[in-house]
Amino acid sequence: MKPAPTLSSAFLHPVGHSLPEPLVALRKQRGTALVDMPLPTRKTENWKYSSKFLKLTDEMANALPADGKTGSSLAVPGYKVAFLNGVMIPEASEYPDLDGITIQSFDDLSDDEAAELADRLDSTLDNNAVQMARLNSARFEDGLLIRLSPDAVLDQPLFIVHEVTADASGSAFPRIYVDAGRHSQITLVEEYISSGSEPVMVNTVSEFTLADGANVTSIRLNMEGENVQHIGATGVRQQRSSRFESHCVGFGGPLRRHDLQVRLEGEGAECKLNGVVVTQGKQHYDNHTTIEHIAAHCNSEETYRNIAADQSHAIFNGRIHIHQDAQKSNADMNNKNLLLSNGAEIDTKPELEIYADDVKCAHGATIGQLDEASLFYLVSRGIARREANVLLTMAFINELVEQIPVAAVRETAQTRLNQFFDQTFEEA
Amino acid sequence: MATTDKEVNELIKREYEHGFVTDIEADTFEPGLNEDVIARLSGIKKEPEWMLEWRLKAYRRWLEMEEPDWAHVGYPKIDYNSISYYSAPKRKEDMPQSLDEVDPELLKTYEKLGIPLHEREKLAGVAVDAVFDSVSVATTFKEPLAKAGVIFCSISEAIQDYPELVKKYLGSVVPAGDNFFAGLNSAVFSDGTFVYVPKGVRCPMELSTYFRINAANTGQFERTLIIAEDSSYVSYLEGCTAPMRDENQLHAAVVELVALDDAQIKYSTVQNWYPGDEEGKGGIFNFVTKRGACIGKNSKISWTQVETGSAVTWKYPSCVLRGENSVGEFYSVALTNNYQQADTGTKMIHMGKNTSSTIISKGISAGKSSNAYRGLVKFGPGAEGARNFTQCDSLLIGDRCGAHTFPYIESKNKSAIVEHEATTSKVSDEQMFLCRQRGIEPEQAVSMIVNGFCKEVFKELPMEFAVEAGKLLEVSLEGSVG
Repeated sequence: MKPAPTLSSAFLHPVGHSLPEPLVALRKQRGTALVDMPLPTRKTENWKYSSKFLKLTDEMANALPADGKTGSSLAVPGYKVAFLNGVMIPEASEYPDLDGITIQSFDDLSDDEAAELADRLDSTLDNNAVQMARLNSARFEDGLLIRLSPDAVLDQPLFIVHEVTADASGSAFPRIYVDAGRHSQITLVEEYISSGSEPVMVNTVSEFTLADGANVTSIRLNMEGENVQHIGATGVRQQRSSRFESHCVGFGGPLRRHDLQVRLEGEGAECKLNGVVVTQGKQHYDNHTTIEHIAAHCNSEETYRNIAADQSHAIFNGRIHIHQDAQKSNADMNNKNLLLSNGAEIDTKPELEIYADDVKCAHGATIGQLDEASLFYLVSRGIARREANVLLTMAFINELVEQIPVAAVRETAQTRLNQFFDQTFEEA
Repeated sequence: MATTDKEVNELIKREYEHGFVTDIEADTFEPGLNEDVIARLSGIKKEPEWMLEWRLKAYRRWLEMEEPDWAHVGYPKIDYNSISYYSAPKRKEDMPQSLDEVDPELLKTYEKLGIPLHEREKLAGVAVDAVFDSVSVATTFKEPLAKAGVIFCSISEAIQDYPELVKKYLGSVVPAGDNFFAGLNSAVFSDGTFVYVPKGVRCPMELSTYFRINAANTGQFERTLIIAEDSSYVSYLEGCTAPMRDENQLHAAVVELVALDDAQIKYSTVQNWYPGDEEGKGGIFNFVTKRGACIGKNSKISWTQVETGSAVTWKYPSCVLRGENSVGEFYSVALTNNYQQADTGTKMIHMGKNTSSTIISKGISAGKSSNAYRGLVKFGPGAEGARNFTQCDSLLIGDRCGAHTFPYIESKNKSAIVEHEATTSKVSDEQMFLCRQRGIEPEQAVSMIVNGFCKEVFKELPMEFAVEAGKLLEVSLEGSVG
């Protein structure tokens, strides 16, 4: 048998963007652990459908330059932090000094603060399950640390715009860490965009820790170009009665991968995970979510919708794990998929792993096409077939789009969706 | 409901009823596996050259395969060289021609198991091909079957008498290289059942095999091949028990079903292998590959299983739906108690137009056991208008057991529709209260609730089996909840 290919050592040399010493040391240590790391293959269970879309060339080990112009497709109505190729650009960022809230680039941390952060980085993720995102810990050049003191409330959404400039082949490793104190509140938007057309990889890690009663809403918008392989991981740890809400809206690419892991560690914690994925052409999108019910009396609710057109491929893998003493857990997972073309493929695997008896768990999954009877109904009432297709397809995901609490994100998503409809449904 | 804890414990401790050893002289191979052993096995069975070749080829392939480790089960590593690959009851001169000639010890064994052949013969009209360890001991009801043109015999006889059929279909559904355990079975299968139903024939009675592992240190590797020609129908039942022993025993069977145009095969299993004692010691490792191919148009294969035994179960009865409008069904009740582990489910591979499949799986876990449903529903590009409905429900009894669901759903055809739903629940206090309030004892109440939970599957079983299955559940479950 052929030995599995390993990660090229070229990827393990961080470029010397200045970072506080403790973080440099951490990066080095993480890098050492990745020497000869086997790359996922078809036999790697959690990369089963995606491994062949992962195409890493040695050129992609290069770092992308951290200077240049930035631009965002979003008209930002709130606060803004701009990242270019994984490095924060203070000139393009706009946010006021706020009471009880610090927003800092890793670069600006004192050695003590950096040491404290270094201890906490990666603590929210099951690193074995997100093998490719581990690369981020060995390579990140900068990052954003957001700290909310107890009871601090961010009054407007914070937009973190991650842009990559793909004028040459390379990779970027954006990273954020959000530490939400007791009863603090924040809504943040991570937007991923790109320019240029060379093949690049964006490898992201976002981590959230929620103290008792904290309330965090995270919105993730994936809008990079056809040349960008995106591998992202988000880790969340929730203490007592905290609430985490996630809205992911993703458009496909050569490879889009997002791992979302939530750990409900304190009683009464609650999470809600929504996701919309739209793929077309030969695009590929792979969402993996894990919800760990560790404490008793926690609730989780998960709804993901995939739409795959043309020859594209969309994957959903949701896992709910109820630990032995997590009695009175409520978990509900729902995944519906719409196949718009015969060349397209949908794979879904909603998993339950349950070790406690007094729980309510349910999951449902469907795959199908647009309902012929509904189409006929609309057409028979004088609505053009194309229009009817658009209406029904939009209806399939509208429930989730509507729930996104930031209007600017809804509008951006809608514009992009309209493009998708134009390309997918022909004028009759 | 702590008051009933004592009763509960007593009932949990109820021992395995079928755990007796039949002391009869047996021809048993020395433990170990190599090409010589296979040649000797083949020689004893007077197999033709091609069969030996087939086995050896499978063996060589098997040597290069790795034991799968993806299932949600854990067990000590099996040493394949410490197993004896052949054990047959010694027989006097010739094979018995009728039941009267069968060794009375054997008949007693069957009686203890609750399947007196005579009774079955007369009352139930079931023909039993009883496999005792590795050789088919007696086959009843051969004549009326022969009249209908149905061939129902041991696979060894079939290799002698119907080599063309065996050659054509053996390994056509489960090839020797399919998986590790199927490979092992292909190399060393000792006996099993062969059924052939000719064109247009509706098999006049339920066919049945009773498997039983008797001798210590032997593995049981039976092989079943059922072929239903155009427009035929057959219903086949299989039941399994094994005696109590401290060491683990391996059971690696392969079942292949072939359904041609308009044919229907119904395959029912009640599996009650020895599950190990309450500390998890001993018990059968049940690693079975079962697959049916709906080759013909409008054909149908239906699997029904009630799994209450075995220490470790690894079993996925599957349907490959090739023919247009073919139908696959899977109804399963899997119950685990104490330290039992089960990883079971099905695969429905839709290749043909308008194929449809239904999966109803009920998992019940009690004690410290672990029960997983693992299923695959796959629509190929040609599965125009295909349809699947899957429902898998789990019932947890006690707070130290696990219930898991791993459904894989893959679709490459837009007109195919799949619906999957799963729920997990426990016997609720409200349900118990309702029953208790009406004067029903807790044990009976639990049994009632569990039987209700499994009803959808039980109604698919043939009558006699449904009764047996209900009883089995009761025995395995009574007292698991207070």
